[in-house]
Amino acid sequence: MLRIRDASVTFPASDGPDVHALDHVSLDIAPDSIVVAVGASGCGKSTLLNAIAGFLPLSEGSITLDGKEIVAPGGDRGVVFQKDTLLPWANVLDNVALGLKYRGMSRGERHERSRRLLELVGLADFAEKPPYELSGGMRQRVGIARALATDPKILLMDEPFGALDSLTRETMQQLLASVWAKTGKQILFITHSIEEALMLGTTIVVMSPRPGRIVARFDADFVRDFAERGDIGPIQSHPRFIELRQEIRSLIHQPEGARTGTLQ
Amino acid sequence: MTLAANSATSFPSSTAQRAPSPRPRRSASTSTLGISLITLAALIALWFLAAHFEWASPLFLPSPGEVLTQFSAVWADGYANGTLLDHTLASLTRIAAALGVGIFLGIPLGLLMGLNRWVKGIFSVPIDLYWGLPPLAYLPLLIIWLGIGETSKIVLLSLSTFAPICFAAQAGVRSVPAERINAALSLGASRLQLFTSIILPSALPEIMTGLKIAIGAGLSTLVAAELIAAQSGLGYMIMSAANFLATDVVFVGLIVIAILAFAFTSGMRWLEHRLIPWKGKI
Repeated sequence: MLRIRDASVTFPASDGPDVHALDHVSLDIAPDSIVVAVGASGCGKSTLLNAIAGFLPLSEGSITLDGKEIVAPGGDRGVVFQKDTLLPWANVLDNVALGLKYRGMSRGERHERSRRLLELVGLADFAEKPPYELSGGMRQRVGIARALATDPKILLMDEPFGALDSLTRETMQQLLASVWAKTGKQILFITHSIEEALMLGTTIVVMSPRPGRIVARFDADFVRDFAERGDIGPIQSHPRFIELRQEIRSLIHQPEGARTGTLQ
Repeated sequence: MTLAANSATSFPSSTAQRAPSPRPRRSASTSTLGISLITLAALIALWFLAAHFEWASPLFLPSPGEVLTQFSAVWADGYANGTLLDHTLASLTRIAAALGVGIFLGIPLGLLMGLNRWVKGIFSVPIDLYWGLPPLAYLPLLIIWLGIGETSKIVLLSLSTFAPICFAAQAGVRSVPAERINAALSLGASRLQLFTSIILPSALPEIMTGLKIAIGAGLSTLVAAELIAAQSGLGYMIMSAANFLATDVVFVGLIVIAILAFAFTSGMRWLEHRLIPWKGKI
């Protein structure tokens, strides 16, 4: 269980008042759930993820994972970045095995385990390729396999499909839904796409900028259906889906002055 | 919910995107090779013509035939206290020693300067100061301090190879993408693992570039230093020949230096291809 309590991150600004990138955010991420944070640019969703990953210190509040306070990056939180961060000098298999190598696992064992993960993301045939010979979507799959390899408690995904074309993106969403259904990992997923949030989230938190806050929270269950059927069409025409999409859209596009009344 | 138990049923690969189709492999070097060879042949032909019709006095422009004859003469009998091989080896030994010093001091110090603010603060000023000076300007000082022998020349050359390698290693460390470091940390890398598995290989392309610059700087400093103060080496041979207006021997020396420079460049290109095949692809 990941527990975020009154987390704030403040950046000093060179001119004018400090920037409250994250303002007293509280959120729980239960095992077996996908929490999707959605919002416009600058709403603090990436700041939130970076704080959980340990890349960024909190100014106030606390984040604990299974009761342990987060102070630095660590292997118990797997991160998938928007830009792929694979090592160009290592092949796909060794990239997936990187975290296991850091743990001192033997070569044979970590390769065996990494091969199983490559199978999980549908890239078993590409194990020996260098990453730069793969397409953008395939590189992101390697990134997901690498983050899963060390069996982290939580997977943090920072707009991982944001740079992909829409067809690849759909395939990747489906992949993630199926990986989640198989592994039951708790996931925090950041996106600015409302559709993506609804397709993938069991909980969707809507964030707003200046200061970065959670303004609303919805429960959804389209992801199970999505993982089973693997088809976006019927889900997106579901009346509940359309209703939620409209509601979230109006929350995000609300003028800043009017938002203050709708907090939580 | 371990991964092992669940990964038996895999995500169907049928929906996987295909890998980008390989691009036709015709690199710039092969497609321009023919043109370059024709240019080279044309230049040599022009030299033949110029010598044959004596567009310039043979004293200033020897014919290719004469240069070839002189080449075998210098190779067999030597010129200015040594055979061609002696002079070439003398020059190569100096540049090899200088590159060795440049690499073994420049890379570690450059890496440290990239990693640590204090090391950078302390060392960047003296390096910046001397690197701005033309090496031949402080050669007389080195000769006063260290004598006219090999030491002063090797120190001079080492100084000219050290700075570009050191700067490159430092730039290499600072060019490591922050996301790559964050990714390694969240995979559980220790500080040492971060350095050996991420920072060092990430800095390698920059270091190779620095090495190429160092070879160029070393080669030009080498010949210049030999022209001024040496009893052996290609620069010394050229200078001695020039003093007696033996233009053909000057040509022999220049051709050998050109071949050496070309060999260094090709060797570096080969090494880059072997060590950093990903360069320019990410």
